[in-house]
Amino acid sequence: MKEKFKIALAQIGCKRADKKENLKKIENFVEKAKNQSADLIVFPELSLTGYVVRDQIYELAETIPGPSTQVIEKIAEKTQTYIVFGMPELSEKTQATIYNTAVLVGPKGYIGKYRKMYLPTHSVFEEKRYFRPGYQAVAFDTEIGKIGLIICYDIFFPEVSRLTRLKGAQLIVCISASPAVRKTFFEILTAARAIENTAFLAYVNLVGIENGLQFWGGSRLIAPNGKVLVKAKYDEEDLVMCDVNYSDIKPIETFVPTLKDLRPELFDALKKSAENI
Amino acid sequence: MFVLKYLYYSIKNEATTLELKPSVLDLDWAEVASKIKRFIKDYVSKTQAKGIVLGMSGGIDSSTAAALSALAIGGDKVLGLILPEKETYNKKDVEHAKLVAKNFGIKTETVDITPTLENFYNSIPIFDPLDKVCKGNIKARTRMIYIYYYANKLGMLVCGSSDKSETMIGYFTKWGDVAADIHPIMDLYKTQVQKLAKHIGIPDEIIEKPPSPTLWPEQSAEKELGIKYENLDLILYGLEHFMKTEEIASQLRINETLVKQIKQRWLSTEHKRRILLTPKLEYRTIGADFRLPRDY
Repeated sequence: MKEKFKIALAQIGCKRADKKENLKKIENFVEKAKNQSADLIVFPELSLTGYVVRDQIYELAETIPGPSTQVIEKIAEKTQTYIVFGMPELSEKTQATIYNTAVLVGPKGYIGKYRKMYLPTHSVFEEKRYFRPGYQAVAFDTEIGKIGLIICYDIFFPEVSRLTRLKGAQLIVCISASPAVRKTFFEILTAARAIENTAFLAYVNLVGIENGLQFWGGSRLIAPNGKVLVKAKYDEEDLVMCDVNYSDIKPIETFVPTLKDLRPELFDALKKSAENI
Repeated sequence: MFVLKYLYYSIKNEATTLELKPSVLDLDWAEVASKIKRFIKDYVSKTQAKGIVLGMSGGIDSSTAAALSALAIGGDKVLGLILPEKETYNKKDVEHAKLVAKNFGIKTETVDITPTLENFYNSIPIFDPLDKVCKGNIKARTRMIYIYYYANKLGMLVCGSSDKSETMIGYFTKWGDVAADIHPIMDLYKTQVQKLAKHIGIPDEIIEKPPSPTLWPEQSAEKELGIKYENLDLILYGLEHFMKTEEIASQLRINETLVKQIKQRWLSTEHKRRILLTPKLEYRTIGADFRLPRDY
């Protein structure tokens, strides 16, 4: 496993319900990032289709692996990179049960996926109408380290990131489609999740306007001490890059040893209390 | 005793909702202007429209919407229609509309709609000249027809000028002034539009004059509504934030009946904000469960 690698945050806007066009854009950004020696390129939540597709989701969802992941796999193989992107995933066992999923592929093909656990269904969000929630936190072993995946609203619930960390993830990738009115929350929570888990956190947000929602971009890589190592522009497409050096974790983990000090017995109490809000 | 007192205050504090003071309506106006401009530009580009047409009354809302449109896509792509009519004609208003157009490089066209209105009045068998609301609505709807003709003919979009205050309480003409393809300032209360207007350089004399839909002579929005916009906006802000009428009234030191009346106006006018109501008969129904993006 590499101790150090280069991550690219590909902050794109999507053409809604146009997978062909979005796949082209993904390929284009991967190539640009590869030219700057990126090993891992991360795209936003539902970057295959756009975020506000509403009822069209039923036509757009695909199984994983499926036709679109195969295209991404080829891009990853050709460029010898790792790619994370988001798409509506059709369950193999059904005809209309869909997940909001993050997919990780690498130079040797498909690696794994994460199904979003917390689906916002309030304010302007209607995810539970369309998606079934996932039930598993994930962390995948790769040549560039153990990578945990979470999606957008998951970041409001520290247990999702924590689970990925406890599974061994040293880099938590959070793909997102966050509209501008929520910017402050994410700017704080992304740093909090990195600090409390002493892990790197890569946050990649969508840009563009969909159905009146303006996605604010502002993607960033955060170090285990909460420092923003690189940040993309607000509101515009951008591609920024930064090294992830896992040897940076140790000094932080000794200085703020949150994992050493974790108290498992509290989780039982937490569970009981959460059942009765 | 001390403990009890402490508990009392902490419970009281938890129960207290937000404080309704004018500063709750403060926003970062540069950021708001930039979001609205992006929204306009994006929609014009997605729809491949040649530009924007809108009615310019010389009032604060249409002046602000026109100026933002010009700032977003360039004044040369914005057409302001000045549509006066005999009964409510006000030289100052026309001058204001022209001033904003000049300042922001917007083209204008002025059409006197009086003859059209008179034809309507004369040809409606049950027309009642004393019913100023029904008559006033003809004016708003006639303007809509003119504006949409230009949009249709020139391949442009219609930009609305309604603000959040009047839209929430239904203080507009259904299918009239509210009829538009985009509504850039509809999420801003009137007093917020005033601040945004100031920020983008709308002349003070337009910002400071009393708002009026000018459906009949001497019509004043605040007189007709029986409340100042400063108070109305805070009441609506409270309702938006799920506050109880009692709490709003107590904080603003106004009669709860007034707050209840405004709440009632808000709730009973949803039919003006949501169109296409039909009984559910089939698999997927227009307006009910066809859920599609608006800007696709």
